[in-house]
Amino acid sequence: MARSLYNTDLYREKLESVSADVLRNVRINKGFLVWMGILTISLAACLYAYTIQLQKGLGVTGLRDATSWGMYIATFVFFVATSLIGMLISSVLGLSGTKWIKPITRIAEIIAVAFAAVAGLVIISDMGRPDRFPYLFLYGRIQSPILWDVTVVTTYLFVSLMLWFIPLIPDLAISKSRLEGRPGFLIKIYEILSVKWVNHDRQFQIMHQAMRILLILIVPLAFAIHTVTSWLFAVTPRAGWDSTIFGPYFISGAFVSGTAAVIIAMYFFRENYKLQKYLTDFHFEKIGRVLALVSIIYIYFNINEFIVPGYKLKTHEAIHLKELFTGHYAWLFWGVQLAGLVIPVALLLIKRMRKPLPLLLISIVVFAASWFKRYLIVVPVQGHPYLPIQNVPVEWMVYKPTIIETSVTMASMILVLMIITILSKLFPVVPIWEIAEEEATVNEEIEHK
Amino acid sequence: MRSIILILTFLHLVFQSIQGQEWKVPDDKKGRLSTFAFDDNTRMAGQKLYTLNCMSCHGTPGKSNYLNLVPAPGDPATEKIQRNNDGEIFYKISVGRGQMPSFRSVLTSDEVWNIISYLRSFNKLYRQQVKSVISSTAYPGSTINMFIEHISSDTSIVVTAYAEKESSRVPVTEAGIKLYVHRTFGHQVVDEEKVTDKSGRAVFRIPEKMHGDSDGNILVSARFSDEDVFGTSSKDTVLAAGIKTIPVSLVAERAMWNNVRKAPIWILLTYCLGVIVALSFIVLVMVKIRDIYIVGKYLENKASEN
Amino acid sequence: MSEEINKPGSDDQEIDETLESSRRDFLKKVGLVGAASVAGAAAVYSGYRFEKNKNKGDTVKVLTEDNRLVEVSKEEINDIKYQVKSFQTKGRDGIKGKKWVMVIDLSKCRNARKCVNACQSAHHLRPYEYHINTLVMQESVNTPKYFMPKPCQHCDNPPCVSVCPVDATYKRQDGIVLIDNERCIGCRFCMAACPYSARMFHWQEPMNAEEDKNKPYNVELNVPQKKGTISKCLFSADRVRENALPYCVSACPNGVFYFGDENEDSVTNGTTKETVSFSELLEKNGAYRLMAELGTKPRVYYLPPKNRIFDFTEGEKPEYKETT
Repeated sequence: MARSLYNTDLYREKLESVSADVLRNVRINKGFLVWMGILTISLAACLYAYTIQLQKGLGVTGLRDATSWGMYIATFVFFVATSLIGMLISSVLGLSGTKWIKPITRIAEIIAVAFAAVAGLVIISDMGRPDRFPYLFLYGRIQSPILWDVTVVTTYLFVSLMLWFIPLIPDLAISKSRLEGRPGFLIKIYEILSVKWVNHDRQFQIMHQAMRILLILIVPLAFAIHTVTSWLFAVTPRAGWDSTIFGPYFISGAFVSGTAAVIIAMYFFRENYKLQKYLTDFHFEKIGRVLALVSIIYIYFNINEFIVPGYKLKTHEAIHLKELFTGHYAWLFWGVQLAGLVIPVALLLIKRMRKPLPLLLISIVVFAASWFKRYLIVVPVQGHPYLPIQNVPVEWMVYKPTIIETSVTMASMILVLMIITILSKLFPVVPIWEIAEEEATVNEEIEHK
Repeated sequence: MRSIILILTFLHLVFQSIQGQEWKVPDDKKGRLSTFAFDDNTRMAGQKLYTLNCMSCHGTPGKSNYLNLVPAPGDPATEKIQRNNDGEIFYKISVGRGQMPSFRSVLTSDEVWNIISYLRSFNKLYRQQVKSVISSTAYPGSTINMFIEHISSDTSIVVTAYAEKESSRVPVTEAGIKLYVHRTFGHQVVDEEKVTDKSGRAVFRIPEKMHGDSDGNILVSARFSDEDVFGTSSKDTVLAAGIKTIPVSLVAERAMWNNVRKAPIWILLTYCLGVIVALSFIVLVMVKIRDIYIVGKYLENKASEN
Repeated sequence: MSEEINKPGSDDQEIDETLESSRRDFLKKVGLVGAASVAGAAAVYSGYRFEKNKNKGDTVKVLTEDNRLVEVSKEEINDIKYQVKSFQTKGRDGIKGKKWVMVIDLSKCRNARKCVNACQSAHHLRPYEYHINTLVMQESVNTPKYFMPKPCQHCDNPPCVSVCPVDATYKRQDGIVLIDNERCIGCRFCMAACPYSARMFHWQEPMNAEEDKNKPYNVELNVPQKKGTISKCLFSADRVRENALPYCVSACPNGVFYFGDENEDSVTNGTTKETVSFSELLEKNGAYRLMAELGTKPRVYYLPPKNRIFDFTEGEKPEYKETT
């Protein structure tokens, strides 16, 4: 049996230094409490808006019979999309043996967990009768894409949580003895969650097996979750949604918003947690390339989605496209397509733009544009049904989101931030053992030479 | 275009004149009487018919909740309507006026009488007069009868009308007869009006598409066009003259839109299989986590023993 | 401590044995718990069945609403809830042997909107909440405008029913597509899926919410309406059950609507009460169905606006104001 890396002194030494750097941030300090306090207060304010909606009905939103899906559904699609990044980074890149993703896998999984978890709640905020949510399980119709969505989102959430948790086990074991001065409950949680990890080879072997199963399982799951979400639209006979490429169109778009989210998070942790040593310019350079690549793929799908119906101009498709290209939504549409997609790609091809700060700025624009892109997918189509909207009050003709609706949407975004904060502040945000392993291997190879 | 305007103006004038006018019933129609005595059964049958055909405009009798139309439909329990005699009400229901439709092709005379019987139950002063013998001015003193049969060889229905007086039987000749088939919401005319020949027969051609029930049965009734001359005589007869129509439930097939029990098999299989596969992988991973724990515990125990 | 334990691979075999035995124990436990829960469930269920069957023999005489004396078994008497339940069973099942169809003759419609009003008053809707709406239609610049009453098309391949996640909207054997607002979760997927925009949602408290509060819910009338649920045209399922024409059909002053049973091949005009052959009516007037290319197979047929009785005048457009 080959000499195990996990028993070398070199590995222990590396473990020591990495854990010191990383665990420095794992604590409940004033900043954390203030930040959480702000989030909680704003969440409470936004949830008050939701209680108004519960009391008076969905009429307090801008939604009406013509446009019956609006901001909530757009946000739902956006959240599901963003959560796909967990699969792209850990699985697609991880299984192909890409080494540089190691320090960011956990960030990707945290984003996946946070967005997937809140996506489910966003759907509930869109329901007219949230009290009847259990009916989905009592009377579920297997033919409905909503049922597939519920099934697959919960499964994806759970598997993402596992993908975050399993590689965390060794870190928890390493950390629990090094957490003096932290609150007792945190140490207790570490103790329980570390499931008697003793750094034994056998345990590493079992863990790698479990990870391999999950990494393979997450690929079809992630494709399913977002394809099914796209089918919420594509299975309806509405011009503008009735498209066969909606599945890949959504998935390629998902990678764009997800990668942007990871870059924003990476930059934030690097600066705030002083992790410049582990999240280096090299990592930004690499993920910048990934963002360029996925954006180019998304542009390709956009071309397909607009050129094909634009060439034929079938009656209702034409109305829809006109509305986007030159009509009511033209500003937003071209803003999203150009500023949120084409220009970022052009910039990302320049090496200087893949440095942390410029990349962050590009990512923020791309990320915001991604939300508006979902809004453009969901809302304009409904403004022009096959039969005219007539004999209704003026407010029923055009959809205008209200403050209450915006507040409830904000609540979901705040919740995402809270989950990310808790997962990244109370647990190591980069995998200690993996980095130690990586560094030890590199050092060993140098020695051998 | 101009003619339409003219017609409209004309209609408008007619309509206006109707509004102000008393609804006059021709004198010869006023005296018509029911051929049967009103009782609880006729009243109940009448109530059902009233609910289906009249209530949407006239409301519930006695409650004055009729529709707000011009001219006002009126509450049948009030004096305004009850002061009409039986013949007048019969005429008004049959012929109609303005927005009140003609119920001649919807209701048989017996059904109209049933409704009148129901309406009269709101009038305590009413005493019914019964015309005991179905008679006609053409065959005075006789009872008119009809016999309907289906001739399957030449897809026709033959109605034979005859007048009976004591023991003599005379065919009713040159009488216009209409044949109706009973449908859910009314009576549908079969072929067109026919006039009886010398032997009192009227031959009706069955149209190509005459849907019957699952045995091909249809319920038909024949009526004289001129009931004043030949009396009211209708006869309901079941004939096996229709196409056998076996009703098929619209939810019998397996389809995407049907309920879960009737979902397409492939989707049930795909869904269940997907869920089972994913769940079993997840269970496997959970077992692995447990294994990590077991190994750790074993090693810990061993270390403490040493 | 961890350093002490962490000796390379010597005790592999022992670990294997430990894992093996613990897994065996675990499976045994799972088996035991499983068996116990199955037994428990069976016991509870049989107890429930016994309770349910206990009173089966006893019957009571009851006076029904239409003054008939009937005998009912005791267990079925459950105050008003029973009524809701019977409404539900009837309403889900539909009427056997029927296939309802509607024919709308566009040449006769002059936008009197009596159908809309009758429908709204029957189903307790506001003036701008529609089960049936009359639309001004114009196919292209050179084709004339015409009025088109648009109820739910009660499709035989209903996209709205396909997507419902909880079986709240469903198709019955007689072809009617209904919505059960005791089941509806308000996701509005059906609205997104309906190409005819036939569905409406209760964005606020329904109009007669206060008065209707204690009425038993009739799924065939969809009254009381409920906030946060879908409502839609029901082909007046409650009326056709009593062999009466739907509210809109009998309210029309211009003879636009025909309604009937496809199995009988007959439809009856709501205004003239004339009953005609369904197939003949379609054949002679060049009937069509709305957006047939979508494959939804509507049960509503339209006769084209040819040889119109009335000139097209849009007239004054009423203003609709949202009320709360």
